[in-house]
Amino acid sequence: MSDTKEPAFSQSNAFPSADVSRRDFLNQVTIGALGIAGLGSVAVTYQFFSPNVLFEPATQFRAGQPDLYPIHSVTYLQDQQVYIVRMPEGFYAVSAVCTHLGCITQWKEEAQMIACPCHGSKFNPDGIKIEGPAPRPLPHFGISLTADGELLVDKLQSVKNTQALKT
Amino acid sequence: MKQIMATSVTTLLATLRETKVWKSIFRRGPANSNRTRSIAVFGNLFLHWMPVKVREKALHVRASYYLGSISLFLFLVLSVTGILLMFYYHPAAPNAYRDMKDLQFVVSNGVFLRNLHRLAAHLMVFMVFAHMFHVFYRGGYKPPHEFNWVIGVLLLLVTLFLSYTGYLLPWDQLAFWAVTVGTNIISAMPIIGDKIKFLLLGGHIVGENALLRFYVLHVVILPLVAFVLIGIHFWRVQKDGGLTVKPRDSDGK
Amino acid sequence: MENKKIETGFSSDAKKEPRRVVFVTKKTSAKVVGDRGPQLMTYPHLLLREAIVFEIMVIAMVVIALFWDAPLEQLANPLLTPNPAKAPWYFLGLQELLHFFPPFVAGILIPTLVVLALVVIPYFNVNVEGEPLWTRRPGRNLRTVLITTIALLAFLAFFDAWTILVPTAIVASILIFSYTARQQANGWQSALAAKPLSWWIMTWFIAVSICLTVVGTFFRGPGWSWIWPWRTHVG
Repeated sequence: MSDTKEPAFSQSNAFPSADVSRRDFLNQVTIGALGIAGLGSVAVTYQFFSPNVLFEPATQFRAGQPDLYPIHSVTYLQDQQVYIVRMPEGFYAVSAVCTHLGCITQWKEEAQMIACPCHGSKFNPDGIKIEGPAPRPLPHFGISLTADGELLVDKLQSVKNTQALKT
Repeated sequence: MKQIMATSVTTLLATLRETKVWKSIFRRGPANSNRTRSIAVFGNLFLHWMPVKVREKALHVRASYYLGSISLFLFLVLSVTGILLMFYYHPAAPNAYRDMKDLQFVVSNGVFLRNLHRLAAHLMVFMVFAHMFHVFYRGGYKPPHEFNWVIGVLLLLVTLFLSYTGYLLPWDQLAFWAVTVGTNIISAMPIIGDKIKFLLLGGHIVGENALLRFYVLHVVILPLVAFVLIGIHFWRVQKDGGLTVKPRDSDGK
Repeated sequence: MENKKIETGFSSDAKKEPRRVVFVTKKTSAKVVGDRGPQLMTYPHLLLREAIVFEIMVIAMVVIALFWDAPLEQLANPLLTPNPAKAPWYFLGLQELLHFFPPFVAGILIPTLVVLALVVIPYFNVNVEGEPLWTRRPGRNLRTVLITTIALLAFLAFFDAWTILVPTAIVASILIFSYTARQQANGWQSALAAKPLSWWIMTWFIAVSICLTVVGTFFRGPGWSWIWPWRTHVG
């Protein structure tokens, strides 16, 4: 379209408002390259610090035959920090870790409630909070039956606290 | 007899000072003139962060109660006792507690070293708070000292974090649950809280990874950060005009 | 926008090393120190004093360390939470705060705000002139103080945060007392009445922190329930 000697595409054509000198251009490219390198280093370092393999206790475990647990009972499994709660409507697997700051709660048989020693939070056997600074009810884990009829609890699976395992 | 001993010692020292070896190490000569006293400070690697001259009012106890200096000295005591304790400590889960028992009952002077380390740690947290409040009440944060105050706040956070990471290392009930509660508080941060907790603990639970990470933080990373910040902090005191001296002090009231 | 009262820059004396200085550009009520006062050589005067402080400190600590044993409880047991599970003393104030407010507020929000407030103190020219609270517009200041205090106390009472409410009330009473005592000629009452607002805010902060920490250390037992420390040591 134009009959000037200017090439069709040049720096000043493509970015008409930016008249960049060679020095500034090289500076910007260098800073950009260093910035990308810096971001890359941060990302790689973050990956380094995030462990890919964890040697922690298994999150799925068997809890024995359902008949071991009487109805209206709350059984604390110490190794897994889980309460196996059996109610007329079925089984719940309730986490024993207080939702406030992570202390391990205790089942109080006489008072029929779960109590946390750290700041005095108290819960019903189904995990609903009675009083205390805990912000949420105790979470429920997925509980199912294995092929040979044993209870299987999966701590990575959260279920609603109204969902009970019927046996 | 004593006089003869005294003079022979002084002449011995004097001849020693004249030797080539001595002069190659200590190059300024005896500090008996203001010139050589100046060189003693700004020509010395370990002392050049101090100014060559100080205002007389700044030397009084009530000017600073030497709180900043005490904080630095406590840091030095902690570094030395900490390094000594490192010779008998394995940062791994069952060994750590056994090593604490070792230090308590088996290692010579182990109890003393550990007591000193713990005492210095508690005192240092207290002293840096006291130092900060005193600097505030004295107005030592006012221009041109603003940035030094910010460095001071950073140092306070580093001190607290140093104390906290060290708290886990005995791996007893006290340590374990203090860290459990603390990391759960961190996970209460929105969006990034869980990620930070995961990185700090090296996993989901307070376990072997957590102990090792807290150990590296406590023994290497945070002391280096503290060392650098302390250097900047002292350098800024000198460059921004020395310790704050209130007008009241100059008037002698 | 008016010129800033305080400008910072570099001293122009080329022979001395560059040093940040502050130019007071407008007439202010702050006293400016013209003379730096008599100076002494660092070696030996400062170094000797530092050495003495160091020695006293080391001797005191060694004596204490010979008698006070660092605690060591049982081996860490992830399955058994001790009751109560307390943080180190410098975090007990925070743990007490956690009793009243949710973890995000007490654990993240308030500490972050405190640190931010500390960091910005010098940049907002806090208390550059050191003007007492009751010199200009004492009536208006008193009203603001009363409204703020009552609002704060109501808020704290709503959350049952007595540990914060009590020191707040005490500091506020002393502050209001200093208003009534502002006409005094000399003595501690006039010194108190001459304190600027920033002094009061920092004193309030320190009072609340100390109260929270002391309560968290001595007055909290199993389940973070209230205990009287003398009663637990009886028997």
